[in-house]
Amino acid sequence: MLVELTVNGEWKSADCPPETTLLKFLREHLMLTGAKLGCDVGDCGTCTVIVDGESYNSCLMLAARAAGRDVTTIEGLADSQGVHPIQEAFEELGSLQCGFCGPGMIMSAKNLLDKNPTASRHEIKDALSGNLCRCTGYTKIIEAIEGAGRVMSSDKYPQSNTF
Amino acid sequence: MRPFEYIAPSSAEEAVALLVENGETARLLAGGTDLVVDLKHNAGNTNLLIDVSGIPQFRGIEETSKGVRLGSMTTFSEIMASSLFQEKMPAVIDGAHTVGAVQTRNLGTIGGNFVTCVPSADSAPSIMVLDATVIVTGLAGSREMPVADFFVGPRKTALKPGELLESIFIPKASLGKPSAFLKHGLRKGQALALVNGAAALWLDKDGKILEPRLALGAVAPVPLRAVKTEAFLAGKSVTDDVINEAAELAVSESRPIDDFRASANYRRQIIKVFTQRVLKESIRIARES
Repeated sequence: MLVELTVNGEWKSADCPPETTLLKFLREHLMLTGAKLGCDVGDCGTCTVIVDGESYNSCLMLAARAAGRDVTTIEGLADSQGVHPIQEAFEELGSLQCGFCGPGMIMSAKNLLDKNPTASRHEIKDALSGNLCRCTGYTKIIEAIEGAGRVMSSDKYPQSNTF
Repeated sequence: MRPFEYIAPSSAEEAVALLVENGETARLLAGGTDLVVDLKHNAGNTNLLIDVSGIPQFRGIEETSKGVRLGSMTTFSEIMASSLFQEKMPAVIDGAHTVGAVQTRNLGTIGGNFVTCVPSADSAPSIMVLDATVIVTGLAGSREMPVADFFVGPRKTALKPGELLESIFIPKASLGKPSAFLKHGLRKGQALALVNGAAALWLDKDGKILEPRLALGAVAPVPLRAVKTEAFLAGKSVTDDVINEAAELAVSESRPIDDFRASANYRRQIIKVFTQRVLKESIRIARES
């Protein structure tokens, strides 16, 4: 079946079998390998992408479901001006070790901070409960998201900058 | 994943026709958080997915003069964002909040959770204590039944071949009823319930318990309405002895199993403690309202 959708601001289309998940579609048909295949059952969250402003496990969503919609992946966060404040904070604090959970962590953080940039530590933990990290113990990830939230909620942060 | 065809009908009638025509080789796709996993590991003879998630008749939350109609394809995130649920059925929000994580709640639907029909379904107890019914639809038209009757056994509902779960109905009399939900899992996030439960009750002007309801999950083959405990509580004044006796009764009504998550004996202890807590919390809310 032909699936047409917007990915990171660009209109894309590809032919795929109906049983193709959005994750497989992104990775193997559009060659966007940022979102990772982890558990493949919706537990680990490293496949997290944002569709029409909400986060989803792309391993559980059929590509057909995303047709005509607006998908943002980790590749869509950096632009010519630089990396996203969440990416910057993760880098500054050394929030990742092996990094495999990173794309999903950052997309879940973006989904939270876009809606609630002043999220409390409790709200951050709740929002990340679908993203597993086996290296870090989460502390620096949570600190980075708090820091990014401060940047994104400041007057200087461009409000129109929704990526 | 096993190859299959995918079709997204635009009406309930069309979905029913496809279901009848294709029999057991067709499966209904709601959020897919259970079904897609199932298809990856155990496809069986599925050749067709009928995506009913976008059918308008199955979607949305609507308040009428008789109560609230909750479309089966409403996601957990949509329930949590609903001001109607926040104001009048906060225990349902607490239940929805413990389902999976953000990404799964954005996909997963209350109807899908009901049809998957596992004993630990976190959406069930807080809906059951509101005397909710389900409306199912098929070739012969629609029929309505109490939620407790919809759950027949583990992964087995009262749906007949060719029938779909259309909506859940919460009667007006239950809106604003003091209610609480609790869940005990091995972790706070993304854990299946070892025991979950909800209570709802009114207190009359003398402090006597009116229309008590208690539902428990993961304690029996299906989410359970503890009707003997409810009957015991009705008309009683609130004392520690009454609460403790109710908790013992709830344990005796339950049929927990041993599995790798917890022993039946451990679950019995939790049922007792949780029944006490969920009743006390409902009573606290009733006194404040």
